[in-house]
Amino acid sequence: MKKLLILLLLAGIFYSCIRDLPTELQFESYAFSSLDEHGGTWKPVLVQSGSTIEIPTPSPVGSGEYQVELEELKQLLAQASQQERASVQRWTNNPVVRWNEIALELIAKYNLIPGPNADGTYTLPNPANPAGPPAFPFAHPPYASRALAYLSVAQFDGLITAWHYKFTFDRAAPYQVDSSISHEWVSHPIPSYPSDGAVVAAASVAVLKAMFPLEADYLENLEKDHLQALMLSGSHVESDLDAGVIIGKEIAAIALQRAGSDGMKNAQAPKSVSDSLANAAFERFGWKWENLEVPQRPVGLTPLFGQVTMWNVPNVEVTRPPVPPAPGSPEYLEDVRLLKEYEANRTVERRRIANFWQDGLGTYTPPGHWNEFANRFIVKYRLNTLKSARTLAYLNMAIMDAGISCWDAKYYYYYPRPIQMIDGFETIAGTPNFPAYTSGHSAFSAAGAEVLAYLFPQEANQVRGWAKEAAQSRVYGGIHWTFDADVGTTQGIQVAQYTIDQAKSDGAD
Amino acid sequence: MKMKLENKIWISISFLLCLHLISQSAFGQTPLDELMMPKQDVCILVNYEFGKFDQYWEGEVLRKNGTIATVQRRTAMVMAAYGITDQLDFYLGLPYVQTNSTIPNGGKFAGTSGLQDLSTGLKYQILDKRTEKRQVSLLASAMLSVPVSNYLSDYQPYSLGLKTPQLAWRLLGHYQLARGFYARAVAGYSWKGYTKAEREYYYNNGSYFTPWMDVPNSINFDLSLGKWFWQNSLRVEATLSTQSSTSGDDIRAYNAPQPTNKVDFTRLGGFAHYYFQNLKGLGVLGYWNQVVDGRNMPEMSSWGMGVTYQFGIKN
Repeated sequence: MKKLLILLLLAGIFYSCIRDLPTELQFESYAFSSLDEHGGTWKPVLVQSGSTIEIPTPSPVGSGEYQVELEELKQLLAQASQQERASVQRWTNNPVVRWNEIALELIAKYNLIPGPNADGTYTLPNPANPAGPPAFPFAHPPYASRALAYLSVAQFDGLITAWHYKFTFDRAAPYQVDSSISHEWVSHPIPSYPSDGAVVAAASVAVLKAMFPLEADYLENLEKDHLQALMLSGSHVESDLDAGVIIGKEIAAIALQRAGSDGMKNAQAPKSVSDSLANAAFERFGWKWENLEVPQRPVGLTPLFGQVTMWNVPNVEVTRPPVPPAPGSPEYLEDVRLLKEYEANRTVERRRIANFWQDGLGTYTPPGHWNEFANRFIVKYRLNTLKSARTLAYLNMAIMDAGISCWDAKYYYYYPRPIQMIDGFETIAGTPNFPAYTSGHSAFSAAGAEVLAYLFPQEANQVRGWAKEAAQSRVYGGIHWTFDADVGTTQGIQVAQYTIDQAKSDGAD
Repeated sequence: MKMKLENKIWISISFLLCLHLISQSAFGQTPLDELMMPKQDVCILVNYEFGKFDQYWEGEVLRKNGTIATVQRRTAMVMAAYGITDQLDFYLGLPYVQTNSTIPNGGKFAGTSGLQDLSTGLKYQILDKRTEKRQVSLLASAMLSVPVSNYLSDYQPYSLGLKTPQLAWRLLGHYQLARGFYARAVAGYSWKGYTKAEREYYYNNGSYFTPWMDVPNSINFDLSLGKWFWQNSLRVEATLSTQSSTSGDDIRAYNAPQPTNKVDFTRLGGFAHYYFQNLKGLGVLGYWNQVVDGRNMPEMSSWGMGVTYQFGIKN
């Protein structure tokens, strides 16, 4: 009897611990904090203005053509399954967040470093043979920052274009035209032609398909589901979607054209190039970083990412940091002492910080982490789709620029990691396959924090505190010197300023 | 059979420490045998185990990994058993675990050490039929374990354990002939809770925006064949054990394992326990285990040895 009671008690405890594990940001359709009627006049990044991309003049709601579309929509609504209706709620009225989450998921899925072959050699992912093995891409932090930047910039420019035509043509939404159609999302006086959701879907799919070619089917299915949800929500008829898709495809093509010639395809330089960079650093400074993996990787990660075209910084060298402390110098020796102290005293708090910000292999990377923060703020401050895309565009341009600047420093200075310099040193974070100075986490995070502090001033202290902690986390992890972190933070702040200046003059404020 | 097996020391615990890539004691807590403690008898076990692996199954592919080289794992454990009645035993166990990679290795990761999980539980003898020719018994046990230190489960392959509450139910059937030959079968279901990582995002065939990871439950079977020698002072047995997780993802290519992984294995083990005739209550045991097949599992080989001491506390 007693035993039975104990077992029942245990069963009760376990039942009560069943958890809901969220696979996306939890939010529902919400009231936007602004409509931004003049958003169509804001300055886009890739095209001249909101009217550069053209779409057909829509038929008025009183026309026979529109009435046919309305009837088709009603039929679709009548036939919709329970599952299709649930999809409307899942996409919400801010699909910018959802498509960003899809990008984060693909980054995490592809953020796997190729392992060695049986003979000890390494094969690089090859875009000409994406199935591999190894699969293309290896979505490491520079790759992730770039995928997110092109995604967000295409969405932003596409939505400026959409806003321009929405308030030019001013066509009402189906639920406003026909009272028998209900609206599943919070209603706003934002005209329905073209559909902003369709712009986001089409632009996102096109950019992500180029960045993750093996995911074409997966992405196209998501797009289909999203476009259908836009109609089932009562917000749009077919021609609203068609016009949105035109804009989305066109802006994505323009974005991908830039991506095709931004220098990324040369970033993973051959050994001869990386060796000459290492030797140049050795002759100039007397040190050079070495990969210590078993078997050794012949080339570091993307040695020429520092030469990729930047978004808002005129020339990467203007943000190159000063020379780091030479091994043996008092500042360097003080760092060795500090790292050894952290190694000897791995407190709970230091371990927590090292792990919280690690965002290592198999995850969405540090750029992804800052996108997640941005998504939370977007929902918290109830931004509309245009403002959401603007937030992510500036965030990701600054983060990618910070990455480029950081990589320029990494391969210019070619500074060794702690495990290379301190005998027997062990870490609790994985030592990455590239030089130490400056810290990528620090630069990415500081740049992300500065942009978010500008866009969400109420959160400025919070995000700057996070960026500092992210930088420090790498020292606690044992894989960076304090000067990697400190200078990387300064570098990120400096790089972000160029993007913030751009944001200040785009007409939104 | 005249010999009263109840008077023998209970622990023939094959210490089948179920090792996740990183190992955790899923079984180590559970007496898997048919022996019952006499009422108000206490038995203490002190045990040491050494395990190592230099290959593991990434999904279903056996591989080496220069980043971790050979991973070593040492476990010191104290365990106590008490006979509440002749049919009901109570158990308590606590292991201290230490892990590291051999040097040289490509990863330069620090190993870990600390107390792992406190396990406690009950074993109940449902049936015990003896004739001149044979003994048949049926037993059931429930074992609960809870982490007792702040180790991190999301630091594989060096994690001390899964850092989650676990509840294992087992049903055990034992059949023994008069000459001392016996066979034993154990079927178990192990419920494993959630473990909290120190990060707020992970990938498990899709994104998870939470530090909580669902550790897969498992179904376990063991089949043992053994024999008593020398007037029941030595017991020797061989065991085949299997685990199948009921859910979980595979370790991804050249990536670290994580607690959400589906961990399956087949393992062979040998075990011997000697009870001193002239030192009442004292025994020594030794064992060896080798994982021979698996999924998201180290090809772990381990050996262990321990001392047992049994005494009555009734006056």
